[in-house]
Amino acid sequence: MGLAYFAFALLLFTFGAVIMSLEILSSNLMSPYFGGSVYIWGSIISSFMVHFSIGYVLGGYLAKRAFKVSFFTFLLAVSAAWVLIIPQIHAPACNYIAEQIVDVRAGSLAAMNVLFFVPITIMAMVSPYIIGILTHYHRDSSLTAGLVLFLSTLGSFVGTNLTAFFLIDWFPVSRIIVGLGWICLATSLLVLSFRLDRKLGRASRIRL
Amino acid sequence: MKKSFFSQCLCGIAMLFLLLPGVPQSVSAENEKTLYEGDSIYNHITIRQAGSNRCMIFGRHRDQRQTCISLSRPDESVFEYTAMMFIGFQLLPNTRNVCLIGLGGGYIPTVFRLHLPHVRLQSVEVDPLVVRLAKDYFQFRSAAGHALSITDGRQYLRRNPDKFDQIWIDAFNSDYIPAHMTTREFLELCRSRLTRNGVVVQNVHNSNQLFDAQVTTFRSVFSHVYVFEGTSSSNSIIIAAQEPLYPPPRLCGERCNSRIGPIDLARESRKFDPNPRIRKERILTDDYNPANLLLNRK
Repeated sequence: MGLAYFAFALLLFTFGAVIMSLEILSSNLMSPYFGGSVYIWGSIISSFMVHFSIGYVLGGYLAKRAFKVSFFTFLLAVSAAWVLIIPQIHAPACNYIAEQIVDVRAGSLAAMNVLFFVPITIMAMVSPYIIGILTHYHRDSSLTAGLVLFLSTLGSFVGTNLTAFFLIDWFPVSRIIVGLGWICLATSLLVLSFRLDRKLGRASRIRL
Repeated sequence: MKKSFFSQCLCGIAMLFLLLPGVPQSVSAENEKTLYEGDSIYNHITIRQAGSNRCMIFGRHRDQRQTCISLSRPDESVFEYTAMMFIGFQLLPNTRNVCLIGLGGGYIPTVFRLHLPHVRLQSVEVDPLVVRLAKDYFQFRSAAGHALSITDGRQYLRRNPDKFDQIWIDAFNSDYIPAHMTTREFLELCRSRLTRNGVVVQNVHNSNQLFDAQVTTFRSVFSHVYVFEGTSSSNSIIIAAQEPLYPPPRLCGERCNSRIGPIDLARESRKFDPNPRIRKERILTDDYNPANLLLNRK
């Protein structure tokens, strides 16, 4: 189980960090097209909350139905690929939406959902999926629900501060987003290579 | 019993909210009255009066005073930078229309109303409460040829194809700057909204690294960038144009004797710095923009 715990901790921390990093960066993506008003932050936060909500439900569902970890990490790789193309699609998408929707609140809300619905919804599945899958295979896991949320929130803390205070100063936003995409992709593929489904199944049988 | 405790709590919370906004007419320091204190969706705003000077202050620190007027002489510039911005008229005396981004207390529109009645002025302010307070406390009122839009400055320029002889940018506090209005893309948008000989006039603080980055960014967009350095404040004015300005600022000096009300343009023009010391900074773009980090870096 040691490898599984390591893999889950890695996923929780990495995706927790990337989610908040993207949230901070999204204000830089939105403001040239919709202004720097408080409405933009309203759109950013509310969009992410909706994505989180849907992701939590879907993550819980995948865990309840005992979907394989390999399938889940494939989904995470899809979210990483989406993040990688955000720098390419954000300018044309925001331009188009800003032309079509005059109201900056509705416009920024639409743009946030076009850019971030898919990746953030998938990334938000990580915590409920891991809690659920551990409950399914390994009820006495030392990786408790509290520890799962701790690791994810710790990642978010690091992602927020690193992005707001350092990364924005050092690199262009597009390069940071591409970097985050590659980190997510590498993490997903690494965890995929661990073949955790077999290990979890075996651990589950030993416990039983 | 439970219900009554719950309703008492609700009443208490409601009272708290009722008491929070606005502290009218409280005396906060000797000879200084607080006329208003409250929050808009963007700022904590305080209006204070000391003697005949009335100031609108953004943020909670006293040194962040944004805009002041003299009640006895509303056209007199309390701050150095507001007078310096009128250098634009020294360089383009035939200006017919100006776009002002950032209203504050409305000192600049007041000078236009009193002394430049022939110039059309389009003001743009993002905060509706600032507009209301400017009207209620700072004698700001609309005049013939003046218009006001309550929207983000960049969005205004994006959506309106009108061209201006001068675009004035005064939308920044000393501790926060709307980063999307510092970038090369924003300045290119400004350039596209200028008439052939038009100029952009921007107020900046010169005591931080953002100043260097902004001058560098201006130079990447405009052929001619002039810096005027405040002598009694840490404000500088950047004036940028595509065409060389006549008379060139360095030659103007004593020969330019024009005034706008109490503002002595010759004196302001002498603040021209032909060789400003600009540290090496990267150009700010929509993609690379640490403006607010640079603002706090000396």
